[in-house]
Amino acid sequence: MGTIRRPEPGYWALNGALIALTFLTLYPFWHVLMYSISDPRQAMGGGIFLLPKGFSLDSYAMMFQNSGIFQAYGNSLFRLFVGTFLNVLLTATLAYPLSIRRFLWRTPLTLFIFFTMLFSGGMIPTYLLVNSFGLVDTLWALIVPSAISAWNFFIMKNYFQSIPVELEESANMDGATPIVTLFWIVVPVSLPVIAAVALFYGVFHWNSYFDAVLYIHSQSNEVLTVFLRSMLNFSAMESSRSIQASDSAAMANISEESVKMATIVASILPMLLIYPFLQKYYVKGVLIGSVKG
Amino acid sequence: MRARTQGTEEIEPLVSQTKRVSQADAASQVGRTRRTLDIMKKDKWLYFMALPGLSFFLVFHYGPMYGVAIAFKDYNIYKGVFASEWIGFENFRTLFGMSGFQRALRNTIIIATYQLLFVFPAPILLSLLINEVRNVKFKKFVQTSVYLPHFVSWVVIGGILYAILSPTTGVAKEIAMWFGHGDAVANLMASREYFRGLLITSSIWKEAGFGTVLYLATIVTIDPHLYEAAKVDGAKKWRQIWHITLPGLRTTIVILLIFNVGSFLNAGLEQVYALYNPIVYEVSEILDTYLYKLAFEEAKYDLATASGLFKSTVGLVLVLLTNVLAKKIDKDSGLI
Repeated sequence: MGTIRRPEPGYWALNGALIALTFLTLYPFWHVLMYSISDPRQAMGGGIFLLPKGFSLDSYAMMFQNSGIFQAYGNSLFRLFVGTFLNVLLTATLAYPLSIRRFLWRTPLTLFIFFTMLFSGGMIPTYLLVNSFGLVDTLWALIVPSAISAWNFFIMKNYFQSIPVELEESANMDGATPIVTLFWIVVPVSLPVIAAVALFYGVFHWNSYFDAVLYIHSQSNEVLTVFLRSMLNFSAMESSRSIQASDSAAMANISEESVKMATIVASILPMLLIYPFLQKYYVKGVLIGSVKG
Repeated sequence: MRARTQGTEEIEPLVSQTKRVSQADAASQVGRTRRTLDIMKKDKWLYFMALPGLSFFLVFHYGPMYGVAIAFKDYNIYKGVFASEWIGFENFRTLFGMSGFQRALRNTIIIATYQLLFVFPAPILLSLLINEVRNVKFKKFVQTSVYLPHFVSWVVIGGILYAILSPTTGVAKEIAMWFGHGDAVANLMASREYFRGLLITSSIWKEAGFGTVLYLATIVTIDPHLYEAAKVDGAKKWRQIWHITLPGLRTTIVILLIFNVGSFLNAGLEQVYALYNPIVYEVSEILDTYLYKLAFEEAKYDLATASGLFKSTVGLVLVLLTNVLAKKIDKDSGLI
């Protein structure tokens, strides 16, 4: 053991393969970033591989001239914060009672929730229900129907069950109601799982878009993901809300493609900024959730 | 009254036993109900707390289950679910006869099968690779990198793919040019031959990395003595992976497989809807996108609901079947 160890056979193959896979994973993000900061005129000719061609922030300036993006960004942020707050609040207030052993009908009520993971009414009955509440074309349609995810409910419930009962009993003895106990005793000792579940919900709200396609019709309620999709306009057939050609001659030269790239970067930027902090809790949450309970 | 009391007193010895028993019974029943009520009263705050959450599931999950009645009705938007007429399985008969539905079902099965064959094993293979890395920092770096795409929306991935694969400015063109095919780059996103491959590849790219979380966590729990014993017996890396690591992962693999099979007919709505376009509808229209169009472009709510019910039912049956099978093969695995 004291001697210098020779690498195991396959060492280079393994590390080489993983470096290649890591590169393949990260490169697409890099390419889009480089494209977005390239000089749009040069970028139109292609050939961006590792470094930008020229340097210009024109595509970002151009992106901000479209007021639609501010609206969409604002709607997405509203959905993110209000939605996640309600998600966590409702999940915790449901998971806490059902984590208490003496709670009557605990098992049937838990099964009642579990069954929704196996069977659902489907897209159309759900749409008609949301519509009958008058939520269609409001941002609430993106928040209320997904108020609690059964999956996250089980993660929280299992975690609450692992908290020693004595902790809560002492609070009860002092005359605390369960609501006080939950927020002053249980939540403070459950911060890791609450952070994880909040992140699950947050990532869901920021990234999901099909519900917005389904429920949102007017442009003023559009969220960022839907804005981005209509802008990317893959088919070149539905050019409804893509960037309008500018009247300024100089601006007209700027490639639409560059603006698309800038918008992609802008839409993942918040996620990339908090990613290093987020990843740890997210992984922890997945692991807690995987414990069979 | 007095007489009656006297009377009962007279026969008291005869009935006393049974009477007392039934009285005790009744008393205990009353007591139990009272105790139940007492518990509920004491825990009224708990019930109060659970009420919003339970109502949510009742309204937004069980409510739509009631709505599947539309699938068996000649649904008329103006009449509503109640007043529309029952027509039995007519909607299903119509649906299965429609070429659009047949195409969507075929595509769904093909895409879902590919996903099960190629996307499902990808994180297992990747975890085996990552697990062999000895340098902790390099391992962390690889993990952090491969997790990243999981946090990005399918719409964004659609945009990134569009940039990479663009026949005029994309990297795909550059690579093709190195191999001397400069002008002959196909637009993969608008190609019927390659579109399904693109769906599968992008699924692997997005989720394989993050999928390793559970597998790597399971590998850590495998008893290291097993590996030492195997080494003593002269087992090389491959044999150790085959005989120790993979069996150690079996339970995790089975549970994840059950979940995957259960969502078999989903085939990835957000992904397909984000990536596809009219040119490739032929090979990529899945049940979910088809029922969306049935309802919102053709206003055939009843047919769309029937299609959704078909999908949900098949999903439920598949979960239960896989679960039974998994338990038959290995008692400890399985979801329920």
